[in-house]
Amino acid sequence: MALVEIRDVHKTFGKVEVLKGVSLDVEEGEIVTIIGRSGSGKSTLLRCINALETVDSGEIRVEGERVHARMPDLKAFRQRVGIVFQAFNLFPHLKVERNITLAPLLTGRIDKARARALAEDVLTRVGLADKIDAWPEQLSGGQQQRVAIARCLAMAPHLMLFDEVTSALDPELVGEVLKVMEAMAKQGMTMILVTHEMGFARNVADRIVFMHQGRVWEQGPPAKLFANPETPELASFIASAK
Amino acid sequence: MRSFSLIDFVSLFAALRWTVALVVLALAFGAPLALAFATGRISRFAGLRWTMAACIQIVQSVPLLGLLFFFYFGMPMFLGIQVPALVAVTVAYTLYTAAFLGEIWRGGLEAVKQAQWEAGSCLGLSAWQQFRHIIAPQALRLSLPPTVGFLVQLIKGTSLASILGFVELARAGQVVSAATFQPLLTYALVAAIYFALCLPLTLWSRSLEARLDGSR
Repeated sequence: MALVEIRDVHKTFGKVEVLKGVSLDVEEGEIVTIIGRSGSGKSTLLRCINALETVDSGEIRVEGERVHARMPDLKAFRQRVGIVFQAFNLFPHLKVERNITLAPLLTGRIDKARARALAEDVLTRVGLADKIDAWPEQLSGGQQQRVAIARCLAMAPHLMLFDEVTSALDPELVGEVLKVMEAMAKQGMTMILVTHEMGFARNVADRIVFMHQGRVWEQGPPAKLFANPETPELASFIASAK
Repeated sequence: MRSFSLIDFVSLFAALRWTVALVVLALAFGAPLALAFATGRISRFAGLRWTMAACIQIVQSVPLLGLLFFFYFGMPMFLGIQVPALVAVTVAYTLYTAAFLGEIWRGGLEAVKQAQWEAGSCLGLSAWQQFRHIIAPQALRLSLPPTVGFLVQLIKGTSLASILGFVELARAGQVVSAATFQPLLTYALVAAIYFALCLPLTLWSRSLEARLDGSR
């Protein structure tokens, strides 16, 4: 059984059908990168996996459990599936440590005595152990995004979703975030990313999924996909992304 | 007729405690209700949103004096309910405070980005935990300066209670003025006391505005 099973998912916003029958499996430990033009439905698909959006038809299963906004254990589910956003969404009124420990403490994952150690641990994994007492506003964009990743890691998720996490960053800050994600990939985390970073997609992903007009247009290992795109749409996308 | 003396001075300051008492009562009952209004106004249930909006609209559209008259004179006449003056006044000021403070706080809540709710829910927090630990603290920072500003309005607004016979600062001024035939001096003194009460708050509100510009 795949960790994530997506079957014929449709999603419409108003009159616009954003997902037109998407099916996709993601195995445990797999790194899947979703690429495609703006409006191809990449981010919507990601948000559906985390039940931030509810699918109109079809179904999504994570660890065998059907995902939807009214699932009875939505809160527990959200702890198993982490998501990192383009805009970081750190809590600006809380220091880095509290940003990380708030959810583990409130959900009873850890007790107060262990909170700081947990924050130190996950911050070390993103290379920011020295920023534990900083305010979010004192950090650069890249550092904020790494804290956001650390905040997710603190919940020990089984699956992590990344929604264009480097798109809001200055070019010179993109590398540090990608390095953290690469390290996570090496440690066996299952990851689904929507990204415009073709270099990262090529080097780190096990599989590339090219979405076009609300469908999975083409997918496969990066080497094959980038070298021999089967569809003219992917070929032109790769050409334009270079 | 007698001249303005220490006793008049004292009676003005003694009356000040009613001014303070009215403010405290208004806040004690009005602030929780304001919180209910504010959260009701941002609820995902449309019916609740409209009901709260209508309540606030009605209270905000009636002059404070009208509210006081309604609960003190109107209730016995229309509904046959006779309430003690203190209760009538407390209810009127409570509604007044709740309506205005509620809108101020709603503004603060809505100024916090929607993505902050989303970030909280993605970490497995309940709606209440998101509100309590993520949204409310940020909204409070944003709302603090206008909240203090409203407090100044409220302090001055308590002078209207004098009409119902409450011997608070304004009414004490009338009494002293009548007894001493020194209205100019008396009311200047009353004004000075209001000013001394409100100025620090206004300055505090200013400094809060400068300090909590919402960036953190």
